[in-house]
Amino acid sequence: MALTAIDIYKLLPKTNCRECGQSTCLAFAMQIAAGKASIDLCPTASEEAKEKLSAAAAPPLPKVTIGAGEREVVLGDETVLFRHEKTFYHPTAIAVSIRDDASEEEFASRLAAIRRLSFERVGQRISVDLVALRCVSGDADRYARAAAAALDATGLPLVLLAPAGPLAAAVEAIAASRPLLAPPPEDLIPAAKLAAERKLPLRVRARGIDGLSVALADARAAGATSLVADPSPETPREAVAVSTNLRRLAILSRYRDLAYPSAFDLGGGFPDPFLAAALLVAKYGSLLVLDSADPADLLPLLTLRQNLFTDPQRPIQVEPGVYPIGAPSGSSPVIITTNFSLTYFTVRGDVEAAKVPAHLLIADVDGMSVLTAWAAGKFTGESISKMLAECGIGEKVTHRTLILPGMVARLSGRIEELSGWRVLVGPQESSALPSYLRRLPPAAFLSVHG
Amino acid sequence: MTLPAGPGGTPVTVGGQNALPLLPEGEHPNAPTVGMEIPTGPLELPAALAGTIGPFAGDPAAMARKCAGDWGARFLFLSLAGCHPDGGGQSVLEGAAVVREVLSATPVPVIVGGCGDEEVDARLFPVVAEAAFRPVFLSYAEEKNHRLVAGAALAYGHGVVSWSPIDINMAKQMNLLLADLGFPPDRVLIDPLTGGLGYGIEYTFSIVERIRLAGLSGDAALARPVLCHLGDAWKAREATDASEETWGDIGARGRRWEETTGLACLAAGADLLVCRHPSSVARLSRAAWR
Repeated sequence: MALTAIDIYKLLPKTNCRECGQSTCLAFAMQIAAGKASIDLCPTASEEAKEKLSAAAAPPLPKVTIGAGEREVVLGDETVLFRHEKTFYHPTAIAVSIRDDASEEEFASRLAAIRRLSFERVGQRISVDLVALRCVSGDADRYARAAAAALDATGLPLVLLAPAGPLAAAVEAIAASRPLLAPPPEDLIPAAKLAAERKLPLRVRARGIDGLSVALADARAAGATSLVADPSPETPREAVAVSTNLRRLAILSRYRDLAYPSAFDLGGGFPDPFLAAALLVAKYGSLLVLDSADPADLLPLLTLRQNLFTDPQRPIQVEPGVYPIGAPSGSSPVIITTNFSLTYFTVRGDVEAAKVPAHLLIADVDGMSVLTAWAAGKFTGESISKMLAECGIGEKVTHRTLILPGMVARLSGRIEELSGWRVLVGPQESSALPSYLRRLPPAAFLSVHG
Repeated sequence: MTLPAGPGGTPVTVGGQNALPLLPEGEHPNAPTVGMEIPTGPLELPAALAGTIGPFAGDPAAMARKCAGDWGARFLFLSLAGCHPDGGGQSVLEGAAVVREVLSATPVPVIVGGCGDEEVDARLFPVVAEAAFRPVFLSYAEEKNHRLVAGAALAYGHGVVSWSPIDINMAKQMNLLLADLGFPPDRVLIDPLTGGLGYGIEYTFSIVERIRLAGLSGDAALARPVLCHLGDAWKAREATDASEETWGDIGARGRRWEETTGLACLAAGADLLVCRHPSSVARLSRAAWR
């Protein structure tokens, strides 16, 4: 388990020498316990202290990287079982499969389809991370050529699902791209030796926790160090159960022999792969291989992953600015709210539901909701007036009327005084916006010049 | 906890578990249960729903029979949105008549949802509570209206859905307020507010996990079954916008959007799911493990 500040303090020299930048050894210990400082800053720490602290600081679930450069995929390196305890760091990696026995034309069009599985959401790009190349031909040369072609066409790191022979041929061709070696269980030892020799990550597949503890030990004995564990479940239910158990063993029990990122091949005949994939995104799957390249499957899965792997302590923010809803004109209403993503989406959805074109002003309040931002002094008469003057809305509309969230009605006087805009107090809840907007008389937005 | 059924119907029993969801550990005497929403008032259905539930618009009783029959819904969530001034403006008496029609049409358990307009709901719930000739659940009681809703439910032997806006402290507070009124805890469901996939599902996911963990570790005020209404999934542009061809077939995409929202809720620990697409009933029931 993680050491407390007092545990750490006992290991320090207790000289309060201040060399580390802290005023006392106890303050330094508290910084280390919070993960904000490293023992390396202490010039007089004993070897024993350094060893104990670095062992305690090592993540309970080791980090495994696949691929290189900007498409590098990181698995594992998680510290908690529930996202509300801290956050999840490394999103479930999603690989879409392709068969090496496809005709040249089919192969190219499948790769093109995989490349298209990339979508823009809330200012982020969400994409399939890897291509899983299934060796069906059994032909080593063909497989190696297919690996090179897949890498070339997509730029994505590969999962090489192949027996030892073709695996070695493909590694020869594309080792520099750092693929994940994924041999069948019977070829574990030669593949583990290859992984050790080439310093590549290896997926170890065996039946359940018991099978894995043997197979992972075999892989380690063969010299492979960067391992991913596939418990090869037969049903979605078994997959969720074993995925949870593996993660608990790593995080709660610190059971190093089984503490590896997990992988699940949901292709082939796996029953109900979509259902299993969604549950494994929520419940500790580190890498999923899917046969579907249908965007109607991948967009919801990638969105779920994007949602669950956001840091719950740092709300997603929307870019501040002026957002057109519908096709607003110079006489459309101007509505202001804050840049907390959930606030933005709720208000946006409700304005869209009203079917009244409008200009939505999103104020920069560091991603807080309206009331929180007001309480924190970030959503004030001053800041709103400043935004009205600087965001360019004055050129987009001919009127000078602002709809303010009902929760902060008290700001209206100050805004009118500072900005010269007239303020209409909107509803307390965004859900009442549709009826509010529909009932506004058009005279509310008459041109100030006309 | 049991949602009672009419004569000849099958009640829905949920809760009673002493471990986290989806895992073969502890006791899970009752599987999560999937029901369907019966809408009222004018409907603007997205493409993925229009073909299936569209033909039942304006006939809640026929839809109730279809949901409980062919579509396999184990309970119904009758939304009286038709009583909202902007949603058709039915009178509260018309709303109560719809409740009686639906209760006569099928014996499955029913949850009756208000229209969302504070002033109308204040008149609607007492009338509905009286009109419902067998026990139902009223949805929902929140901080502002809980005396009224719980009072109406108590007077006629109904249950209530206790609502809070993605806030575990409010969820707890609501249940304490209901307990102060002498409301029996075995007739209370928690609705934590369910965000749609892509639009806040992560908040619901974490709140449901926290409610469940708190309940399991002995916080009696949070040890209640959780109801997730998946309706917000259908507000997402990704579920309804047919013009984005690179997002895949709109029919499949809309269904997947609701299904994925529901799977996240099940993974977090929801006991009851309310969905809109008939296929979601079967799909989500496949992950409703005991």
